[in-house]
Amino acid sequence: MKKTARITVLCFSFLMVCSLHGWAQSSPAEAFKNVTIHTADGNTIKSGTIVWRNGVITNIGKDVSIPFDAYVRDGGDSLHVYPGFIDGHALWGSPDVEENVETPDEPGNPGYGRAGIQPERKPSELLQTDSKALSEAPKKGFTTAALGLKGQMLPGQVDLFFINEKETEDLLLKQGVGITAQLEEAQGQAYPSTTMGVMSQLRQLFNDAEALQQQEHYFASVSSNYPAPKQNKVLEALYPVMDNQQPFYFVVDTKENIERVFELQDELGFEVVIVSGKEAYKKSDELKQRNIPVLASIDLPEEPEWRSDDEDEDQPEITEEMRIFRDRQEEAYKADIQNIAKLIDSGVKVGFASNGLELSDISKNLTVLQEESDLGKEAILRMLTQSTADILGYSNQLGNIAEGRIASFTVFNKPFMEEKAQALYSITDGNLTEFEQESSEE
Amino acid sequence: MMKDTEIIMKYLKSTISACLLVLLLGMSVEAQITQKAEIGKFAITNATIYTVTNGVIENGTVLIENEQIVEVGNDVDIPSEYEQIDASGKQVYPGFFDAGTQLGLQEIGAVAVTNDQAELGDFNPHVRAFTAINPSSASIPVTRVNGVTHVISMPVSGRLAGKATLIDLYGYSPDSMAVTPNAGVHLNWPTSKKGGWWDDRTDEEVDKEYKEDLKKLNDFISRAQFYNKMMTDFENNPSNKEQPDMNKKMQAMREVVKGEIPVIISVDAKSDILNVIDWTKDYPDMQFVLAGVRDGWRVADEIAEAGLPCLVSTLYTPERDYDNYQRPYQNPAKLHAAGVKVAIATGGVENVRNAPYHAGFAASYGLGKQEALNAITINAAEIFGVDDKLGSIEEGKQANLFIADGDPFEPMNHITDVFIRGHKIPMVSRHIQLYQQYLDRGAKTN
Amino acid sequence: MKKLLLLILTFCFSLTGFAQEKGSVLIKDGTLITITDGNMPNTDLLIEDGVITEIGEDISAPRGVETVDASGKYVMPGIIDAHSHIAGVDINEWTNPVTAEVSMEESINPNDINIYWALAGGVTSIHLMHGSANVIGGQNETLKLRYGTEMDDMRFEDAPRTIKFALGENPTRVHGQGFDVQPRTRMGVEQVIRDHFDAAIDYKRNRQEYLDAKQAYEDGYRSTPPVPVAENERLDVLVDILEGEVLVHTHSYRADEITMLMRVFNDYRIEDYTFQHANEAFKVAPELKKNGAYTSVFADWWAYKFEVYYSTAYNASILNANDVKNSINSDSGELIRHLNHEAAKTVHYGNTSKQDALKMITINPAVQLGIDEKVGSIEVGKHGDVAIWDGHPLSIYSKTLKTYVDGKKYFDRAEDADDMRLKVDAEQEFDEASGRWYNENGRHSETCLRGAEIRFSKQGMKLQGN
Repeated sequence: MKKTARITVLCFSFLMVCSLHGWAQSSPAEAFKNVTIHTADGNTIKSGTIVWRNGVITNIGKDVSIPFDAYVRDGGDSLHVYPGFIDGHALWGSPDVEENVETPDEPGNPGYGRAGIQPERKPSELLQTDSKALSEAPKKGFTTAALGLKGQMLPGQVDLFFINEKETEDLLLKQGVGITAQLEEAQGQAYPSTTMGVMSQLRQLFNDAEALQQQEHYFASVSSNYPAPKQNKVLEALYPVMDNQQPFYFVVDTKENIERVFELQDELGFEVVIVSGKEAYKKSDELKQRNIPVLASIDLPEEPEWRSDDEDEDQPEITEEMRIFRDRQEEAYKADIQNIAKLIDSGVKVGFASNGLELSDISKNLTVLQEESDLGKEAILRMLTQSTADILGYSNQLGNIAEGRIASFTVFNKPFMEEKAQALYSITDGNLTEFEQESSEE
Repeated sequence: MMKDTEIIMKYLKSTISACLLVLLLGMSVEAQITQKAEIGKFAITNATIYTVTNGVIENGTVLIENEQIVEVGNDVDIPSEYEQIDASGKQVYPGFFDAGTQLGLQEIGAVAVTNDQAELGDFNPHVRAFTAINPSSASIPVTRVNGVTHVISMPVSGRLAGKATLIDLYGYSPDSMAVTPNAGVHLNWPTSKKGGWWDDRTDEEVDKEYKEDLKKLNDFISRAQFYNKMMTDFENNPSNKEQPDMNKKMQAMREVVKGEIPVIISVDAKSDILNVIDWTKDYPDMQFVLAGVRDGWRVADEIAEAGLPCLVSTLYTPERDYDNYQRPYQNPAKLHAAGVKVAIATGGVENVRNAPYHAGFAASYGLGKQEALNAITINAAEIFGVDDKLGSIEEGKQANLFIADGDPFEPMNHITDVFIRGHKIPMVSRHIQLYQQYLDRGAKTN
Repeated sequence: MKKLLLLILTFCFSLTGFAQEKGSVLIKDGTLITITDGNMPNTDLLIEDGVITEIGEDISAPRGVETVDASGKYVMPGIIDAHSHIAGVDINEWTNPVTAEVSMEESINPNDINIYWALAGGVTSIHLMHGSANVIGGQNETLKLRYGTEMDDMRFEDAPRTIKFALGENPTRVHGQGFDVQPRTRMGVEQVIRDHFDAAIDYKRNRQEYLDAKQAYEDGYRSTPPVPVAENERLDVLVDILEGEVLVHTHSYRADEITMLMRVFNDYRIEDYTFQHANEAFKVAPELKKNGAYTSVFADWWAYKFEVYYSTAYNASILNANDVKNSINSDSGELIRHLNHEAAKTVHYGNTSKQDALKMITINPAVQLGIDEKVGSIEVGKHGDVAIWDGHPLSIYSKTLKTYVDGKKYFDRAEDADDMRLKVDAEQEFDEASGRWYNENGRHSETCLRGAEIRFSKQGMKLQGN
């Protein structure tokens, strides 16, 4: 696989990202010409040109003058350029959860780690750079991802990365975008072992963190005669959430679990982004009212088998009750498929999160979404790009192809939702990777 | 050795304590335990007699002599030596028959050492419930004072769980209780369906497992058929033949493959029932009875056509979350309407005493009282080939009957007298004894 | 300030909680089984906006209120099940001997089909209980069976808080036997309870001292800041128990453990408690009476474990005869469908009167749950939670025709369809195999694995138990 490996430094007034090989202002520009450019807002520029330098898009349009020092690639009017897809909560590169854990001496008092309380863990420190997903994701059009960790109730923090295979490690855009939370019980025999236990535990953690914060505050404010607070990385990691500087990235699917998150939010007062949210459409109005965005999963239900049964084949006789069962099943299937469309319709901000879904399923399921739900291609593209960028707080830097935006986009051989669409180039933060063409038999 | 009274005196002298009083109370219980069953000549008079097989006789008399019913009717001369039991305003029924239980095989569910219904191994036609029936099980008196006089008790584990036994609920040994020591062999039908959300096998794995299980079962039976034929040939004409080696399991299968006792097949899901129906056609010489049959109402016609009797209950939650709430209650009625012979089988142990209420629900939800009565008496007797002596109040049949102060399907009503094999059973059970002891604890005790 | 905001917020949301639909209906010419005022033949019952407003003859329906003819039929208060695990998600937070902080309020599954099946048996309220794996288990939640509404709307508004305790085999088996964690014995069970009450008393004092000192420091009355004492979710609930704000419902079987707990409760001045199951309560009926303790028992379950071996189906009748307020509960998705017949068994076993038998599934459980001012009998001012029966409810031949909660009809036999699921799983297969019809290995599969069996599932180990 060929690739151009060059790291640039990106400077914004409010943000500084350093990398190992940074040097300033000397890079030549690069450009694609004669390509079809699809922007996140649904516009298409045919025979367009896109120019970028130092990781930033400098020019885009139909009749654009290309700087003299730009290295130009000619798309011959057959290539399609899309804003880089953003995964709002991916588990790529996360260490796996340890299996067959031992029962603690006191199952009711297992300690933070064993209970699945690990908000201090950082993907940037634990990233497995040889993860296949990190090298495959760019081929599917992903250039940016908020990476979380696998685990239970509080698996760790969420860090935002540009995705570029092994180099991802050095492409950290922001540490601590949020903290992942789940209503997930501890493994094996340990507290909390139930949803209600997880909820109580979360409350207690907030109580403990509040007390610790208070003690730290007192300790700092008096000169003597006060016991030093005992450092606690776990509780301290929760401060940003308690102080509303970071949201919880709360992974929940069912309507009732979303209601449970609302309840916790009312009590504990945190900001929250719903991740996955397979039944979020059932709470769309309240999500809208609470201004809670959803990073939606596209892990769609399996289509009921009978829907694709061959009519010629021997089928069991369809009894009346079977017919009713099937009708209701189909209704449920269709409703679940409409999740994202319904949310968008209700005015909920919807981005995308793979959250453990296999990369190979992503393109497959996007096609199902397009065919079976009311989401059009444009809406799907927007969800994968601008909307996710908005939710992550990067609406002006990521998520679209426009002048001044970070140069993260993907060049496909045909519109990305079409069959046999392949990524030919991935430009991540201005760095171009060229992919080998996969043989057409595949 | 000190006599009991001396011991008591010793205690009395030493201290007046709570222990003593408890002991005294315990003694009075002791006295009731020693109450014995009576056998002899009894005349139940002025009764409404539900004969089951010959309608209802108002103001009738039943004469019992030793183990038998000697006369039933309106105009019965009562010889003077008969002890009369006035049943005015009361009803008399044949003893109820629960056609599928584990009574006598298990004492306390959670105490494994008291559980004798589940032997290890997949194919155990040679293990017999009869062997492990505990005549002293506390559950037996508890059951019989509610009018249940006969049960099929069966082993439950593995594929061929073992031989079920038909016992009555009075006796000091399995031998005295057994009506038919080997009443059938219990087969747990291998399911071809996934179990539910907890079952994470793929469809292919499920199918493969089913086929393997079925093949093992068929192989086992065909070996048994071969063994039976070989032994029969040898027995008929042993000359010039070398005597085959004995095989206990195969030997135990002989009465099964010959069709002398039925295979009781536990099966519930619709597709499994259909599979069973198909399967039984491969063994025309054998006898089959279905048990459980919770999806039976879905395939009642098919079951009727195959001529398979069904052992069913009513007090369980619907099999599938999309079923109508009444299906368990209606299952016996729907099977009966299609022409299936149904009998009540609770599948229970300590609460087999609720068998009348299973039948009551069946009666209430479409089966009607007469058919429900049949299901808990004569049908079971017919299915297990003992209707010549059990299942109805008829002259010449065994005296298994009880007297109730009303419809025994009503949980509110009471059973006042029970006869098993002519024995007038003491109306005593642990539950009744504790009631008598504690209703009013009497003297001020702490 | 944050607290105040929270309070306001909670208030707003509890207001929306009140917004569930209520109905009006006039039920004419039925035999009203009022429970508290005898039976009234040929009497009309008017429910308006969820509340019983009139009982009498010749009531005419206010405009827009539907009239239902109940002539020849019985109208009885909705059955209340004081011990249920239907409509629950998780039942046991079984990992610690004390888990007072968890609450079944957060473990409600409003989509459980068992709710509908219970309505079809004339049940209108249940006590959704935590399991019995721990000495002090989680808090329970009293629900109204408003099938088809949301999780929040299932809650019985303003019902007192309750909590589950458990004595005997289950906690000693799970913690002592299973994990080598106290308690292993009934001796240990007592001390676990006392230890935690003592800790709660200390906590309450320390926490209050901290809050006072904090205030004083912030107001300038104190020079050094205090060392924070964190709010403790578990001890908070124990404090509430000691202060009488949470009613205790204790899973118990043996007479000795029942008297033990009464001693402990007397020491800590805890009142208004109920013994659940209490298979040996009959042995200490006078003591229960003396302490004003309630019992909620099975009609006839026994022998499934050692601590219920020496028990009797006459338990309810003995308790009733000794003037102990007793209810009959189901603890089962099956029995809850015909609790009326479970109550009828108290007539069979010990000749309890029919009226008292009916009290055991209506007003008595209502008293035990602290909701008797609202439900449990047919009285003006009480909630319109009633069921119409086609015969006397204690008869096996009688069926529920209609069930109303808050005057709204949630079950109608005449309109009963087959598939009443609220939530359909798009991936469920039509034809699934079932469990065996008989009790496997002596376990009662229909009843939440009564002996607190530990089972393995896809989601890891779960434990239920009663």
